[in-house]
Amino acid sequence: MKFLLFADDAKSLSGLATRFREDGEVQAVTVESEIEQCQNYGIKKLYGLKGKAFADNVSLAISGMDLQSYDLIVISSSPLGREVAGILSGKLNFPCMTEVFEISFSGGKMITKRFFFGGKTIMQEESSSKIITVTPGSFDSSPGDNTAEKETIDLGDSRVSLLEVKPKEKSSTNIENASIIVSVGRGIGKKESIESIMPLVEATHGELAGSRPVCLDYKWLSEERQVGLSGKKVKPKVYIALGISGQIQHIAGMRGAKIVIAVNKDKDAPIFQECDYGIVGDLFQVVPKLVESLRK
Amino acid sequence: MSLNIIVLVKQIIDIDQIRNDPKTGEPLLQNIPLRIENLSKNAIEAAVQLKEKNGGKVVCIIFGTDRSNAAMKEAYAMGADEGYIITGYSGNNPYRTAKVISGKIKALGNNSVIIMGNQSADSYTGILPGLISAMLDVPLLGNAVSIEAAGEVLKIRRVLDESDEIISSGAPCVISVTQEINQPRLPPVLQIMAAGRKPINIEQAESDGTPVPRVISNLAPKSERKREIYEDIDKGVDAASRAIRGEIR
Ligand SMILES: Cc1cc2nc3c(=O)[nH]c(=O)nc-3n(C[C@H](O)[C@H](O)[C@H](O)COP(=O)(O)OP(=O)(O)OC[C@H]3O[C@@H](n4cnc5c(N)ncnc54)[C@H](O)[C@@H]3O)c2cc1C
Repeated sequence: MKFLLFADDAKSLSGLATRFREDGEVQAVTVESEIEQCQNYGIKKLYGLKGKAFADNVSLAISGMDLQSYDLIVISSSPLGREVAGILSGKLNFPCMTEVFEISFSGGKMITKRFFFGGKTIMQEESSSKIITVTPGSFDSSPGDNTAEKETIDLGDSRVSLLEVKPKEKSSTNIENASIIVSVGRGIGKKESIESIMPLVEATHGELAGSRPVCLDYKWLSEERQVGLSGKKVKPKVYIALGISGQIQHIAGMRGAKIVIAVNKDKDAPIFQECDYGIVGDLFQVVPKLVESLRK
Repeated sequence: MSLNIIVLVKQIIDIDQIRNDPKTGEPLLQNIPLRIENLSKNAIEAAVQLKEKNGGKVVCIIFGTDRSNAAMKEAYAMGADEGYIITGYSGNNPYRTAKVISGKIKALGNNSVIIMGNQSADSYTGILPGLISAMLDVPLLGNAVSIEAAGEVLKIRRVLDESDEIISSGAPCVISVTQEINQPRLPPVLQIMAAGRKPINIEQAESDGTPVPRVISNLAPKSERKREIYEDIDKGVDAASRAIRGEIR
């Protein structure tokens, strides 16, 4: 088989390349800044998009390639990737299978798995889709045995204009390597309350993390502490979720934890389906007791 | 400029109420009510706010079923002016959904902006904004956390991994919104009652031959977690602290 991959970050592209080179020849498209980091993953031909990437000009660049020569177009499900997948699907009249995290091919058939009903179920399907989007982080990467042949494609103008960009500052915390994580959700209520969680962080020698609302919307914690689908994927020995409801996008970031402890005042919160030890109660009552018990 | 705003409203089965059969792992879907998808409410709210600021009208489209009236009434109560339910939705086929909806949008004509959620809570396909933008051949401003209109130009702010951006395009365009954009309003009772009396336009979608995937299985993921849940806080604290100690030792 022959695959065309698109991802706008090197980590996702190298993961996709590692997976799909098992089933055939892989060619790939990415943005220029990511090329250097993608060339050793068994990609035969690597196209680098030069210019500011928007969904429309990227889709146009990809649809200008000889798409009939590929069996499947595989797109990493980033915000840009999803838009590109939608546009390509609409323009080329190819139905698209989405958010795939596992895939196999047998006898000319493609079988995929994705989450459904908000993550409550896994749907396994057989389809003839010619485009798929893949959930980032689904496939680990390992180097392949060739260096990609590279080619630059100049992006055309977009109908969207960029008026302002504010790059985000990078900091040094790395919750991805933490062995204990104390993670807070919207249930913490306000920024000041994070102070009352710190004794638990100290008692466990842990790192502080949070759900998306806490890190992104309210900015009570910095964004590099966000756990989840659109944040960090963590693999601690213990993950303590405080006032986190346990939506699937959050779970996606902590599936790799060895032990999950959850505190939530709602006994029906989905987090209780995804924890080893769950305490139904007010986190402000539970946390001091837990600290006390750990210090004993 | 007053705006003709179209909002795409998705109705889903209330996924928070779905339980899985503990033996077979099958989702138990009987008697589970429908609701407006979370992000669709954000989209309606964003549209109504735009209208309140700039003048204009908000038209909602639901590709749904004969059970979609309640969702449209909710949209009306939030401030939508006009609503179309297109029946014949069979789910799980974004390509067809986009075809039906973009056909309706074209038929309505003369619109300035189409607002929708960026990724729905049930299936997360996330490709509808791109599909609609391709089928209408209009620009896409994706993942808005705020929207502003100035004359014929729409401007959004969005938060990406590496940067915050402000982008813009001329009307008409498609805007997808994230849940951070707003807190959807809870309409007052009077508005809810008025909404109940407002007429809803109902049409039937043509069937089409888009190939649909064959579902092999749709079952609860097997979680290996222990799921020891304590309603007695002290007992829970004991168990949790033992587990933590076992790992930091
Ligand atoms: C495309 C996409 C990507 C996303 N990516 C991410 C991601 O990377 N990470 C992420 O976290 N989310 C992500 N989300 C958002 C996700 O869907 C949820 O909205 C989010 O995880 C909810 O955060 P929360 O649990 O903190 O808040 P809520 O869902 O509001 O939950 C708060 C919980 O706190 C409990 N609570 C309240 N007060 C107390 C108290 N005093 N004591 C104990 N419990 C209390 C409540 O019962 C409730 O269960 C994403 C969403 C989408 C659509």
